[in-house]
Amino acid sequence: MASRKEGTGSTATSSSSTAGAAGKGKGKGGSGDSAVKQVQIDGLVVLKIIKHYQEEGQGTEVVQGVLLGLVVEDRLEITNCFPFPQHTEDDADFDEVQYQMEMMRSLRHVNIDHLHVGWYQSTYYGSFVTRALLDSQFSYQHAIEESVVLIYDPIKTAQGSLSLKAYRLTPKLMEVCKEKDFSPEALKKANITFEYMFEEVPIVIKNSHLINVLMWELEKKSAVADKHELLSLASSNHLGKNLQLLMDRVDEMSQDIVKYNTYMRNTSKQQQQKHQQRRQQENMQRQSRGEPPLPEEDLSKLFKPPQPPARMDSLLIAGQINTYCQNIKEFTAQNLGKLFMAQALQEYNN
Amino acid sequence: MSRFFTTGSDSESESSLSGEELVTKPVGGNYGKQPLLLSEDEEDTKRVVRSAKDKRFEELTNLIRTIRNAMKIRDVTKCLEEFELLGKAYGKAKSIVDKEGVPRFYIRILADLEDYLNELWEDKEGKKKMNKNNAKALSTLRQKIRKYNRDFESHITSYKQNPEQSADEDAEKNEEDSEGSSDEDEDEDGVSAATFLKKKSEAPSGESRKFLKKMDVRARDEDEDSEDSEDDEDWDTGSTSSDSDSEEEEGKQTALASRFLKKAPTTDEDKKAAEKKREDKAKKKHDRKSKRLDEEEEDNEGGEWERVRGGVPLVKEKPKMFAKGTEITHAVVIKKLNEILQARGKKGTDRAAQIELLQLLVQIAAENNLGEGVIVKIKFNIIASLYDYNPNLATYMKPEMWGKCLDCINELMDILFANPNIFVGENILEESENLHNADQPLRVRGCILTLVERMDEEFTKIMQNTDPHSQEYVEHLKDEAQVCAIIERVQRYLEEKGTTEEVCRIYLLRILHTYYKFDYKAHQRQLTPPEGSSKSEQDQAENEGEDSAVLMERLCKYIYAKDRTDRIRTCAILCHIYHHALHSRWYQARDLMLMSHLQDNIQHADPPVQILYNRTMVQLGICAFRQGLTKDAHNALLDIQSSGRAKELLGQGLLLRSLQERNQEQEKVERRRQVPFHLHINLELLECVYLVSAMLLEIPYMAAHESDARRRMISKQFHHQLRVGERQPLLGPPESMREHVVAASKAMKMGDWKTCHSFIINEKMNGKVWDLFPEADKVRTMLVRKIQEESLRTYLFTYSSVYDSISMETLSDMFELDLPTVHSIISKMIINEELMASLDQPTQTVVMHRTEPTAQQNLALQLAEKLGSLVENNERVFDHKQGTYGGYFRDQKDGYRKNEGYMRRGGYRQQQSQTAY
Repeated sequence: MASRKEGTGSTATSSSSTAGAAGKGKGKGGSGDSAVKQVQIDGLVVLKIIKHYQEEGQGTEVVQGVLLGLVVEDRLEITNCFPFPQHTEDDADFDEVQYQMEMMRSLRHVNIDHLHVGWYQSTYYGSFVTRALLDSQFSYQHAIEESVVLIYDPIKTAQGSLSLKAYRLTPKLMEVCKEKDFSPEALKKANITFEYMFEEVPIVIKNSHLINVLMWELEKKSAVADKHELLSLASSNHLGKNLQLLMDRVDEMSQDIVKYNTYMRNTSKQQQQKHQQRRQQENMQRQSRGEPPLPEEDLSKLFKPPQPPARMDSLLIAGQINTYCQNIKEFTAQNLGKLFMAQALQEYNN
Repeated sequence: MSRFFTTGSDSESESSLSGEELVTKPVGGNYGKQPLLLSEDEEDTKRVVRSAKDKRFEELTNLIRTIRNAMKIRDVTKCLEEFELLGKAYGKAKSIVDKEGVPRFYIRILADLEDYLNELWEDKEGKKKMNKNNAKALSTLRQKIRKYNRDFESHITSYKQNPEQSADEDAEKNEEDSEGSSDEDEDEDGVSAATFLKKKSEAPSGESRKFLKKMDVRARDEDEDSEDSEDDEDWDTGSTSSDSDSEEEEGKQTALASRFLKKAPTTDEDKKAAEKKREDKAKKKHDRKSKRLDEEEEDNEGGEWERVRGGVPLVKEKPKMFAKGTEITHAVVIKKLNEILQARGKKGTDRAAQIELLQLLVQIAAENNLGEGVIVKIKFNIIASLYDYNPNLATYMKPEMWGKCLDCINELMDILFANPNIFVGENILEESENLHNADQPLRVRGCILTLVERMDEEFTKIMQNTDPHSQEYVEHLKDEAQVCAIIERVQRYLEEKGTTEEVCRIYLLRILHTYYKFDYKAHQRQLTPPEGSSKSEQDQAENEGEDSAVLMERLCKYIYAKDRTDRIRTCAILCHIYHHALHSRWYQARDLMLMSHLQDNIQHADPPVQILYNRTMVQLGICAFRQGLTKDAHNALLDIQSSGRAKELLGQGLLLRSLQERNQEQEKVERRRQVPFHLHINLELLECVYLVSAMLLEIPYMAAHESDARRRMISKQFHHQLRVGERQPLLGPPESMREHVVAASKAMKMGDWKTCHSFIINEKMNGKVWDLFPEADKVRTMLVRKIQEESLRTYLFTYSSVYDSISMETLSDMFELDLPTVHSIISKMIINEELMASLDQPTQTVVMHRTEPTAQQNLALQLAEKLGSLVENNERVFDHKQGTYGGYFRDQKDGYRKNEGYMRRGGYRQQQSQTAY
């Protein structure tokens, strides 16, 4: 029952989400020419991911898995997936790579698509923009150029709107990651901001005709019992949670900025000192003219410039804040819409 | 003479050694050669030193006991060891044995041991069973004892014949015994005993006497240093070796005189050389001394020795300070005084002796009526040398010295008061002193004030170094009255004669001895209205002198007006505040503290003043608490308590934690700063006052800001205590003061004032804390009232959400407060916007309004705040980027650049508005 309901939900909302994503995709498409312009997901994959989370993920725990499929022109078709097994402490020596290989070989034996095209991950209130995700996505994209990461938000999904998004690292970020230089200068040179770290790839959920037919038929048969929930504003909890998470990130951001600030101050202080010393030296030289000038390199060696803080984290935090903001915006927009609707209904009734 | 020295001193010096260690071989040889010389001394034989004998014999018996034990368990190795020790001990005891005879128990053990060993030796089977070590020891021991026993053959045979012989016979056997001992010596020389037995028959008595004599000398000199006594022995024995009594006596005299000489040389030549040297030295000293003394020296050879040691403390010498018959004049006495003073501070001088000499000089001066000037002068010096007595700052005066010092100062003051024509001052030069010219006013160099200040320091030092929980401390503390009396006298004296500066100093001293004492009499007087008190009481009070408050006021005001050094004024102010606070004059104390602006610049003061400041602040806090001003109390105590080093900050002890961080020097310095115990402020009381006031503030605050995530703690320490209380796995009834407060806080959180009250005020807490206040009952009633009020507030904060309205009457019943109080508390809360409610006058109820923000609203507010700080931080970064010399470089003094930076900032703002952020 539940799976079917979600199934219907997914078809219903997928069109809207794709529409929204497509708009963005266009906007970013110009910035970098990535190999994949569109992701087409099989209904089976969506159901499998949802099932995986429901079976294994609870609370803040995150589930992950491998996506399988193939690239057709500029469209990535994801036709199957399998989950990573949950880690437990007693099998620490479990070899993931081995497991994946084994799994793919088995799949090939039964003649299913076995090409590795990315991975999926569930998320807790949209907090997925992390260093871990960046690193693994980078390694994926580095090895398999067209791979994507599918982010599945179970909480939103449970509220009735399937949330499944495909992300890729932008080519710029790929380059930066390749260099492994996250110093402020490098990031500045690469012209990277949080907006251009990830690109969202529009998603299309595709089912076979047979399944579509089945859906229509099921829809007709099922009595729609939960239509009155349409105007429910039960997202306040969600909103609070989001606010709290957002606040945490803002705190982190503040700390990061303070760190950066102290770094800046230290460097400038040191530069000043160096200036003063140089000036003194010059004066000395002027006083005792004719003598060979003292070597200036020694001084700069004496003072090691302070280690510049890595800016990647702050970028990630900024990205995360952005996601939260978007979440909140979405929710509030929906709620506002509902409120207006309710008002209208009220007036109409009166 | 020389013969005596060769023979006597040579043999004797070594025999003296033998007394200490072992019988050395040459001694035996000498005995053989020299016995006849000594025979004439026989008449002195009666002298017996029991203690030495007992000691030696006890040693022997102890060893014998161990040997017997070892025999019982067949531990031959042990036997061997002990036997060797026994031999040594016997050697040591030889001198006694010589005159007492070989003790029977010694013979017995020798005989028994031999028998025992023979028995073992015969027992072939037993021997086989023995372990290797034992067997080896057995054979060695057997040989040794055989050899050893040969010397005691006669004794042993006689013992064996009659083992039951009583100990009484020992005395009769004296002669025989001593023979035995000498035999032993000879045996050690490798000569057979039998041959020498006859030849020496008459000698031993002399020998024994000689030993005896030596022992005698030692006994006499027991309390001298070992080195000295050795010297003595040398001298003494030297004299014993001479036949004439008179010479001996002279020798004794010399011995006394030379007691402090370096170890006397033993050989004749050396001796002579030394004597010569000494004479030379003496001559040199003569020259330095007045010629008057020279005369006397020359005609008295014995006197010479004493004269040489002029600076040395011999009681015997005292009367000879001046030659008999010399006219004691001022000049002579002053000269002598200077002479003594010259030795002061030099390495070898005996400070105790100096003091004695000076005292003697005073006596002489007094006896000869040299006038007060001289006496005052000498007294000054006596006191100074009393202070000098201790070589370093850390050690404190011995009680007898202290007593002497006090007496001396008192006498000095007596003189000064009795003779108003004496001028005393530091600024009077030595040359311009006038000590005896009665026509002009007497002028003496010296500063009574410095002496008294030093005395005060010494007193503090004594108190610091005495265990505060001992009776001794109480005894020392009794001297405080004396110290105060002296200070008062000096004060009176200086008020007449001193400069304002001096008066300020003595006033400060007086203040320092007054400020910490609670004036119970004045307090009593305050409590009982004047007309109610009986006449006699009033009289009594008048007799006691002015109130300490009045006194403090007078002294401090004088200092405020006249003092030019900042330190004295600061101290005076602090003491004044302390005194006010101690007597619950809160507003005066507070105003004085605020007006003095001490809080701003106290960190520049030296540590003792800072300690005084801390003490004052704490006292101020406690005073505020007594008045029911919890907030003030909390603020005053916050600094001291929050550091967790109250003990250290108040100078009431060193913290163990930081012990390893500081080195020895620092520790010493810190130790010197400690406040004597009788000035201590009870730390538990302090902490309790702090915690209770924190509780009264914090609990309502916590209740009011329950949902507020950004609420700040008022008192970290209080929160720490709460957390500690929460961490406890099992909560028993509270034991310590802290636990009581924590338990009370928990009760208060629920608005349960009765439980809270019972936790704060009960038997235990009374004993620990509340009874320490002078007005304990007043404090307690204040506290109950406070608890009621704060509980009411807490209750309203916590439970207002469950009420729509609440009748004030109910509240007044609940908290046992009268209606107007409840009314006023609630009104205050409403005005302060702490409680969203309104009062309904006709029904006397509080009607609650619900205007609390929702969780989301709260979160949004917090978020906004955080974003604000984020933006601020970001701007700072931006400033850096914009101008390297931006407005944040405040250390940049360059006005032009600053201006530029400011301009840039302005520019940046425009930029910011352009860039869509």
